[in-house]
Amino acid sequence: MNKNYLEINNVDFQVGGKVKVKNLSLKIQNKGQIICLLGPSGIGKTTILRSIAGLEKIDKGSIKLKNTILSSKSEHVEPENRNISLSFQENALFPHYTVKKNIYFGTDRNKLNGKKKIEPKKIIKILNIEKILDKYPHQISAGEAQRVSLTRALVSNPDLLLLDEPLSNIDENFKEEIQVKLKQILKQFKITTIVVTHDSYEAFYLGDKCGIILDQKLKQFDDPYNVYHYPNSIKVVNFLNRGVLLPAKVTGQYTLENKDLGLIKGNFVNEHAVGSIVKLLLQPEDLEHDDKSNLQLDVIDKKFKGTNFIYTLKTKSGKYVSVFVHSHHVHQHQINDKFGIKKPIHIKHLVCF
Amino acid sequence: MKTFNVWYITSFIISLIVIIPVLTVFSSYFDNTSDYFKLLKNTFLFEYISNSIILLIGVLFLTLIIGVSSAYIVSFYSFPFSNFFKWSLILGFAVPPYIYAYSLTAFFENYGTAYTILKFFLGEGNYNMHIPKFDGMLGAILSISFSIYAYVYILTRASFYFQSNNLLELGKNLGFSKIKTLFKIILPSARPAIVAGLSLVAMETLSDFGAVDFFSINTLTTAIYNSWLSFDDLAFSNQLSFYLLIFIFTLFIIENFSRRNAKYHSPMQGGFKLKEKIKLRGMSSFSAFFICFIIFFFSFVFPVCQMLYWTILYPKNFFDLDIQNLFINTIILVSISSLVLIIFSFISNYGNRISKSKFLSILTTISISGYALPGVILAVAYITFIAWFDNTIINYLEIKSIKKLFIGSILGLVLAYFVRFYSLSCNGIKSSYEKLNRSIDESAYLAGYSKLKTFIHIHIPYLKSSIFFVFILISLEIIRELPITLILRPFNFETFATTAYIYASQDLLEAAAVPSLFLVIIASLFILFISRYILKEKYE
Repeated sequence: MNKNYLEINNVDFQVGGKVKVKNLSLKIQNKGQIICLLGPSGIGKTTILRSIAGLEKIDKGSIKLKNTILSSKSEHVEPENRNISLSFQENALFPHYTVKKNIYFGTDRNKLNGKKKIEPKKIIKILNIEKILDKYPHQISAGEAQRVSLTRALVSNPDLLLLDEPLSNIDENFKEEIQVKLKQILKQFKITTIVVTHDSYEAFYLGDKCGIILDQKLKQFDDPYNVYHYPNSIKVVNFLNRGVLLPAKVTGQYTLENKDLGLIKGNFVNEHAVGSIVKLLLQPEDLEHDDKSNLQLDVIDKKFKGTNFIYTLKTKSGKYVSVFVHSHHVHQHQINDKFGIKKPIHIKHLVCF
Repeated sequence: MKTFNVWYITSFIISLIVIIPVLTVFSSYFDNTSDYFKLLKNTFLFEYISNSIILLIGVLFLTLIIGVSSAYIVSFYSFPFSNFFKWSLILGFAVPPYIYAYSLTAFFENYGTAYTILKFFLGEGNYNMHIPKFDGMLGAILSISFSIYAYVYILTRASFYFQSNNLLELGKNLGFSKIKTLFKIILPSARPAIVAGLSLVAMETLSDFGAVDFFSINTLTTAIYNSWLSFDDLAFSNQLSFYLLIFIFTLFIIENFSRRNAKYHSPMQGGFKLKEKIKLRGMSSFSAFFICFIIFFFSFVFPVCQMLYWTILYPKNFFDLDIQNLFINTIILVSISSLVLIIFSFISNYGNRISKSKFLSILTTISISGYALPGVILAVAYITFIAWFDNTIINYLEIKSIKKLFIGSILGLVLAYFVRFYSLSCNGIKSSYEKLNRSIDESAYLAGYSKLKTFIHIHIPYLKSSIFFVFILISLEIIRELPITLILRPFNFETFATTAYIYASQDLLEAAAVPSLFLVIIASLFILFISRYILKEKYE
């Protein structure tokens, strides 16, 4: 017997007759897991959520929740009978009801199905919306509206929670705090969740697993660490935009050589024949700063990120590479200065294409 | 979720009912007619058409001047009573053209009210030859214009109001004078709204029956009425309707197109900045006040005072009139029709919303064209259809005739109002519905609410203020409506409008004053109720 909590098998996700995502298969094995889907705007992430919620029909494949078919070519359980909550990107708060009434709107269902109740007051407190309970949606900010929408979705204690860009309108300084609280709630109440976002850091933090959707397909579905450090294609590398691809020649079982950076050591993630020319993924944390090194590159740009700096350096052959440096490092470099890179370069995992 | 459910089928049937009169007119075009057509073609047809065109041009010109100038003054300037004029300028809408026509005639006719005033102040004298006569075509143009210029005023004012201050500041920045800003920035930006207002005016003018009939102006509308009533030629009546309809539908399309364009001039496109009104002083302040006062006076105060004067002068007419009965009849018509219209508009809108069917959407768009159908045409088409249905289908089924049930009955009247005012009701609810994002419905579904439960718990509470608005708007139209009520009403069933018309057609203008006055008072109250909505100054 199949024991997956949610199973999406070979589904074409479509809206208005136009297929957005083809032949997608995805499984959530255990209740309480959080899945994050990443992808550029308009790729079809929202369509996936809407189809799982039953707001769009599917013509191919099947969607099963708790071993019950919700959608297939021949079957379609209406959204009101799925016990799936969706927090819309545009919030979709009832404009004529107060925030409080909006939140309590979805709680009736749990009284009926006898599920363990999530106390709305608790969520209201955690998400810091106590002061706006008597206000109407048009009287609150976009960020507040998003938290209200999130609360409404959470308090219904659904079998599956779908969050469409849940924190996109929340102020940056508050976002991290909400992310932490949200994850705590989801884990505490074991709410199985699919989050759609374009923010990779948000996805990496929230998700037990992350899926990358590109070119109408689920390109990679893996742990956040693996998605970041072991991207399985150049397209995923380009989408995540967290590193550069440098040409290099494989010189041994654990080494390769780049014209500008010299010898690079590490463990290959995939096998490559000695002598072959590959594209090596170089991420900012792969290089170490060393003023005494004889490998000196020109500083092109310097970004202050609070806890660290990211220097963009230019190699002799005109390639750009980025390097992380701790915020408190002694020697600050300016644009056009020389910047030393520790040699030999050692990268824990060599991702090459 | 494209489904052919009960909502879909109901809204399909509603759209079909509303479309029937339009189809009847178009199909009747191919019917045989009597010799009246040849007779008319050789004699009066040209006069009917030219009169219709002259009337249309006159009314369009006057409403453009009155509507745009008053809207401009109250939107951009602050002067004594400017807030009062903002809403009082729509009160002219409470006076239907035929009642305005009675007042105009009563005041300026030989030995009329103007004569009495002059005699009171100056003593006996032959003043009749010095008092201008506003009858015939001029009278009709004035009556219709002062009664319906509010269409242009309301739409233009809304457009002016929502013009961003940024635009005006841009004008100043470019070194434009006030006049140049008006003609180069303000008016071009408001053009779609002005065109939409004028299209409505044009449709109403071509549909008008009461005023042109009173002034004995032969237009296409009166020709339709006469060919049916005097020559008993229903087919020809429908043929004339066909020509008029083509013309009116062109206007209808222009109006719809203009409204669509008007969206691009709304603050929804961003960058809206509320403007401060310019405070006028001295002569310019007085001029603004004077212009607004004159318009308000002639559109509302003048006809009301004339009716009031006659009511006081001839109190017997007041006591002879069975006001209670007229009031009850009016309430019956208003309440039943409004209820039916609102319920079915709701069903149709909801059906459209959940079915997402393009076919149904197109059908609904066509069915709202009922408003463009002049009352006379509608009544005639309605009778034609019932007669055809009775003679063919009912006859074939060998069941009892339905003519009596649908013609000369409250049911028939309600059905005809339904067709005529369906667009008003349907669009009124639709415009509020469109503000309710579909994801709101979806949120309710996902919270476990069925479609019906969503309709009851989400849509109805959200739309309750627009239901009230639509109810008042329909009531206002039904109270003012004349030809449909006149043609289709049950025997001995009168409303304020029909009573006023009957007295006036018998040259008993003094007696027509009382029902007219009551009609205007009720209509004014309705307008005051909804002025807040009409003149809304925020996007909800």
